[in-house]
Amino acid sequence: MTNLAKRKKAELRFKFYGIFSVFLSLLFVAILMQNIFSAGIGGFYKTVFVTSIHFDQNLLNLEDNPSEEQIKKSSFRKLIKYNFNELFKEYSKDEIKQIKKLFYRKIDIELKNFLINNPEFLNQTTNVDLTTSTHIDQIHKGNFDRTVPEKQRSVNNLQLNIYDKFIDEKKVKKVWNSTYFTSGDSRDPESAGVASSVMGSVFTILICFLLSFPIAIFASIYLEEFAKRGKMTDLIEININNLAAVPSIIFGLLGLGILLNFFGLPRSTALVGGIVLSFMTLPTIIVACRSSLRAVPPSIREAALALGATKNQVVFHHVLPLAMPGTLTGTIIGLARAIGETAPLLMIGMVAFIMDIPSNPLEPAVGMPAQIYLWSESSERGFIEKTSSAIILLLMFLIVVNFVSVYFRKKYEKKW
Amino acid sequence: MVNTIITKNLNVYYGDKQAINDISLHFLKNKVTALIGPSGCGKSTFLRCINRMNDVIDICRVEGTISLNGLDIYSKEIEVEHLREKIGMVFQKPNPFPKSIYDNVAYGPRIHGITDKKDEMDLIVETSLKKAGLYAEVKDRLDDMGTSLSGGQQQRLCIARAIAIKPEVILMDEPCSALDPIATSIIEELITDLKKSYTIIIVTHSMQQAARVSDKTAFFHLGNLIEEGDTSKIFTKPDHQKTNDYITGRFG
Repeated sequence: MTNLAKRKKAELRFKFYGIFSVFLSLLFVAILMQNIFSAGIGGFYKTVFVTSIHFDQNLLNLEDNPSEEQIKKSSFRKLIKYNFNELFKEYSKDEIKQIKKLFYRKIDIELKNFLINNPEFLNQTTNVDLTTSTHIDQIHKGNFDRTVPEKQRSVNNLQLNIYDKFIDEKKVKKVWNSTYFTSGDSRDPESAGVASSVMGSVFTILICFLLSFPIAIFASIYLEEFAKRGKMTDLIEININNLAAVPSIIFGLLGLGILLNFFGLPRSTALVGGIVLSFMTLPTIIVACRSSLRAVPPSIREAALALGATKNQVVFHHVLPLAMPGTLTGTIIGLARAIGETAPLLMIGMVAFIMDIPSNPLEPAVGMPAQIYLWSESSERGFIEKTSSAIILLLMFLIVVNFVSVYFRKKYEKKW
Repeated sequence: MVNTIITKNLNVYYGDKQAINDISLHFLKNKVTALIGPSGCGKSTFLRCINRMNDVIDICRVEGTISLNGLDIYSKEIEVEHLREKIGMVFQKPNPFPKSIYDNVAYGPRIHGITDKKDEMDLIVETSLKKAGLYAEVKDRLDDMGTSLSGGQQQRLCIARAIAIKPEVILMDEPCSALDPIATSIIEELITDLKKSYTIIIVTHSMQQAARVSDKTAFFHLGNLIEEGDTSKIFTKPDHQKTNDYITGRFG
């Protein structure tokens, strides 16, 4: 009886350990999520000043009913100067210069785009949302300490007073930051975006998938179903398993040595990145595919063979479809690892400052993890937020990829 | 009486181990022949030689001849896929494909290119299921998974699948060993029914089943053929002492 009590107690203790471990890991995930989301959500929004602007035809040097081309060519400098002088009449020239620094330095482009989209406002006065400088953005989002002495602040007292005045006049707005999703990297946090790195990641993963998935499946089928067992297959098996454990930077060196230096493929491109990552993903998929091929019951093979199916038909009609769910699970794991990989890309020049959004896999690109790494090194306050926002996007990207593959896995899964 | 399958001096080895020892047997057309004997006596190995299912086992080696309608099935002229089209097989454990009932039956005709017209295929599926005595039970749910049926139904589905390609011979490897008595009796009735159109060779562990369904019986022991003949004779006055011991349950 005491013995049984002891055993029951041990069971209880074990249960407690289990619950504690689960709780601990959930806590870590929760802390991580809380951290990233609280820091990153703000990056999806930006602060704007609602500013009344008069689009004077003469200041812009434009004719009546100008074409889009003409507006593009015209300079908005004079217009901005005139409007600022009007808006801040009571301030000195020097002060106006400082006030201008509350705004993003490229508001002329914003005004230009506004006029191109709404040409009817020529010679009219209207309210335009103008992006604030990253410092004001951070102040508005509450990442600013006003008790710091003026000399150590990026924003001086005059600028703060103007900001407060705008707040009182209800001229400050937080709006959805669409630039973040449509533009590439930039030196200015105001206009830096993830579009180039998202496209870079999409192309890289696409190439990685298109290369590794079919190659892995054909290799696994051959090894598992057709090859005669022997020393050779054992050797290949050991090598594949070892390959799965090779540190990822080695694959980057391989890409640098073979793909770039020997084959002369273009540096920093998604094509090379995808090939390198597919080296890395191949063994993972092969191992998963082979074990799921092995798990298909022999009775199914026998049934098809006994009906007069050829070996090929047995494999492609029966065995492979049944091995598909397991293979897809392996593919998810492999691709998820590849998406988050930075080290091998470092070697082939895919960690770089890329402003242009790549339109095909042969253009220079960065991946999202590399972009996150680059931003995290920037000293500007605005980039800290961008980094966390990019991490959120990367996580969402991963979740989407996972859901897609879970969907396909469920679709192919059959019960018997 | 026409012989469909004749084996002559058949020896089968798994590596160094001899599994079948010099067996010469003949199987009559449209009759049911039962192969009986204790476990490991080589009945299943013998059966699997007839449609060359042993080909997939690397270490298996076959000597001697097996002929189907006078043609040596191990000769170069015979493609194994064609052979299996003529000699169907039903396994010990029901093994329907994890596909719909319809696709299970239609798979054989499809790969052999018997028909590519939908209505002809429907007819083949219907007649095969009818012959296997399953049609009435599944006619409203042909799209359901074959694996969702009960064990007995699954085995009849496997029989329907085998006869859909119109074989001459059906090999059955203990087809009822995984089934309950009711399902077993349905399959046994079916076998009696099927012998009108097919030659059937059945491996069974159940003496009663052999006595009930077969016309001829062959008794195997340790890879040797001990005795063969009419079922009624084997079960009433066997020539051999070992046969007598086995059918009366004294060993095996």
